[in-house]
This record gives sequence, C-alpha cells and structure tokens, in this order.
Amino acid sequence: MGSIVTPPAEDALCAGVRELIAEGTGSDPGALRLSTIPGGASRETFLAESDRGRWVLRRDPVGAQDSFAPLETEFRVVQTAAAAGVPVARGLAFEPARGRLESAGFVMDHVEGTSVAPRVLRREELESARSALPAQLGEALARIHSIDARAIDGVATSGGDPALAACGLWEATIDEIGEPLPAVEVGLRWLRLNPRPPPPRECLVHGDFRLGNLIVDESGLAAVIDWELCHSGDPAEDIGWVCVRSWRFGNDDLPVAGVGALDELLAAYEAAGGEPPSMERIRWWEAMGNVKWAVICARQAHDHLTGSRPSAELASLGRRISEPEWDLLELLPAASCASRPGAPGSEQGRRA
Amino acid sequence: MQDRPTAPELLDAMAADLYSEVREWVPRERRFRVLVLANLCAVIARELRAGEEPSRQDLELFTALSGSPADDAREAAATLAAAIRRGELDERLPEAIGRLREHVARKLEVARPGYAVSAGDG
Repeated sequence: MGSIVTPPAEDALCAGVRELIAEGTGSDPGALRLSTIPGGASRETFLAESDRGRWVLRRDPVGAQDSFAPLETEFRVVQTAAAAGVPVARGLAFEPARGRLESAGFVMDHVEGTSVAPRVLRREELESARSALPAQLGEALARIHSIDARAIDGVATSGGDPALAACGLWEATIDEIGEPLPAVEVGLRWLRLNPRPPPPRECLVHGDFRLGNLIVDESGLAAVIDWELCHSGDPAEDIGWVCVRSWRFGNDDLPVAGVGALDELLAAYEAAGGEPPSMERIRWWEAMGNVKWAVICARQAHDHLTGSRPSAELASLGRRISEPEWDLLELLPAASCASRPGAPGSEQGRRA
Repeated sequence: MQDRPTAPELLDAMAADLYSEVREWVPRERRFRVLVLANLCAVIARELRAGEEPSRQDLELFTALSGSPADDAREAAATLAAAIRRGELDERLPEAIGRLREHVARKLEVARPGYAVSAGDG
C-alpha cells in the first residue's frame, strides 16, 4: 500500500470522493480512508476504503499540464468500452477541475486482482489465468476496436494516417528530449520509408495495452485500466504493442505479454468479430512499439536529469533504452516480409 | 592510486548485499526499488571494467557512417542521428541498421548482458 495523503488535503479530498461515490452509486459510503496506489505514469490513483466497500479515485495531478486524453474523455471512453462489452472498472462519477477534487478526477469501482506483470507471470494461483489470458486479451481487443473513436468527444485523431502520425509524434518527442538516439532514428527512418497504408477502418486504440494496465484475477482478465493514452488509430497498434518483448518479462518465447502465442490471440480476436490485421502490419506496429518504449525510457531518464522528477528508478530507465533498440532493429527485416518460416503466427502471415 | 577493493569490486559488493540481505529487510511491495539499485551497481561495475574502448568503437562507427569527423562519441551520435533523420543514409539504410546493431550490442554488454539474442517469436 502507498502512503497516506497529508491531513488538510485529505479531509477535503475524502469529503469530495465520498460525495461523488454517493452520487454515482446512490448510497453514502461512509467515512473514507485514502491511500495512493503507486504506478500511474502521469495521473494519480487512490484507493478509497470504508467499512462499506472499496473504490478507486483517478485524478490529474494538481497543477499538471494537459495530457494525451483529457480525464473527462478517459471517463467517457471507459463508459463506452463498458457498453461495448470490454471488462473495465465501472466509472461512477466525474468531477471537473476546480471542483470537489481540486483537479479533474473520477471515481470508479474497485476491481480485485493484480496489475503487477511479474506476479501475473509467476504466481502459482494464477496458472489457469495465464492459460486463459491470450484468448481473453484477443476478445477484449476486438471489442475495444469495434468502437468508433470519432463518436467520442475529445479522443485524439490520427489525421488520417496513423503510421505517419506515429513517426512524427516520436520524432518530435526525441527532439524535445534532445538526446541523440541513432539506433532509434535508423529504425524510425526505416518505418517512415516502409509505412503501412492507413487501416481499412480507424478505431479506438487503447494505446498502452499490456499486463501493467490490466487487472488479472484467478479466472484471468478482470479489467482493462489506464486509458489515458487512448486515441483513434490502427487496431494493429494495440496488437503489436502487447507483443513488444519488454512486456514479456523474460518469457521471450511467449510473444503475447509473456503468456501465450499470437495465433491464439488472433483466433479469439476474429471469433469476437474483429478482423485480424496482416502479420506485416502487426510487425510494423511492434517495431513502432519498440520506438515508443525506447523514447519513453529516454524521456523518463530526462525527467530525472532535469530535476522535474528526481528518482533513481527513472534514471535507471536511461540504461534500458538499448533493450527496445535491439528488438526494434531485429524486427526490421521481419517487418519487410510477411512472416519468418516456422515462426508462430506465420499462418496469419498468409492473410491479406 | 586507491587501496583495494577497486571501484568495480566495491560495486560488486554493494550489489551482492542489496540483492541478498537488504532486499529482505524491505517490505515486499517496495523490493523492486532495491533491485533497481542493485542492478544499477552491477551496470556501473561493468561500465568501469569495460573502460573507454566501447565509446572509442562507437565514435569510429558513428563517424564512418555519417562521414563527419567528431571529437567524442556523443557529438558523433548527434551528427549521425540528424543525418539519418534528413534521409542522407537512405541509400545505405540496411548497412546502417547492421552497423548500429553493433553499437546497441555494445551498450547491452554493459546494461543487460545476454539480452542481445533474437526473441523467440520473430
């Protein structure tokens, strides 16, 4: 458990959260205790507990700048995803900035389980969860991708070409950081010169779909959380991202989040009404996912170096840039042909 | 000259202590932080043992690819990165990708030995 919020802020925040839960559920939760849940990248997450139950508060850090999807948009996206059959932590009530939560925030149901990836991959009691996960992830992704993001107010658009938009976004971020990353640049250049054409249909993309943003219990996927990077784009982006080697936590031979085979995910994706992208498209986005993770590592280390977020943990990420760089360069020849002989997933490679 | 242990030997000792005993003293949910610190000690020890040679090899590699001389590896990396972005290496991109794998493999020998192999799935 994280640290307890300091008293004066806690009183006002507790009262605000209590009112919102009462409004969202129709019954007063009673006096609440708040504790921070560590792990959020740019948004704060708190556990709110009383003898009547547990809830979660998600809010913008006070005084923070705008992030990718405004919190109100995230709240709307979670509600839309729930209606589309995606397992989520149900959103209860949203409060705008300068209201009862000081910054913008919303309260949601608390979902039991873990989002700590190494626990999901190693714990004995989660063994049957692990075997269910690849298909459950495929089904959840198909439902997310069935959503037309343009129908949700405030979701970032791709400008019509998600592949080129991603190239431009990460080039601009590298420039902001100011670190020379020649291996990332050469990968980005290859991706720019070999872009996938826009997908047949743009859809809602979660944007950070990996075990760290999923709650897993003993029966498998319990909720998809942390929607702050959601945007309109290519469905293959989420599939490529969940295959990035860094999210396998050492289970290198299990491409889907270290728990299973891509074929299994894609079969469930198709069975749930999704149209599986070609392997070539998935590999392109997996390579782009490695660009993204390398640049995020560089940015986190930069946040430490500039003193904006001093932390040995963030500093250490500067020395992990080389891992996604290696995987990026390894993927480039694979991305230029439909599939490698004998590789799992090669059957899908013969499609489209 | 300092007395022994040398700097890398001291870091080895710190890493061993953090990995084993100190980790046990820390509450379960915070042990990850101790592992991060222990791992950083191991990284620094490997970097000190490797000396200047990896940076010298990178300087040589970067200047060869960009065709521009530079005084140090960092400056050469910036020049090369900008040249790649401008498309000046487009004609030799497969060669540049292959050579930059060498650079990444050198960094991994310090940061994460054993990582520079192909992942299972391709």
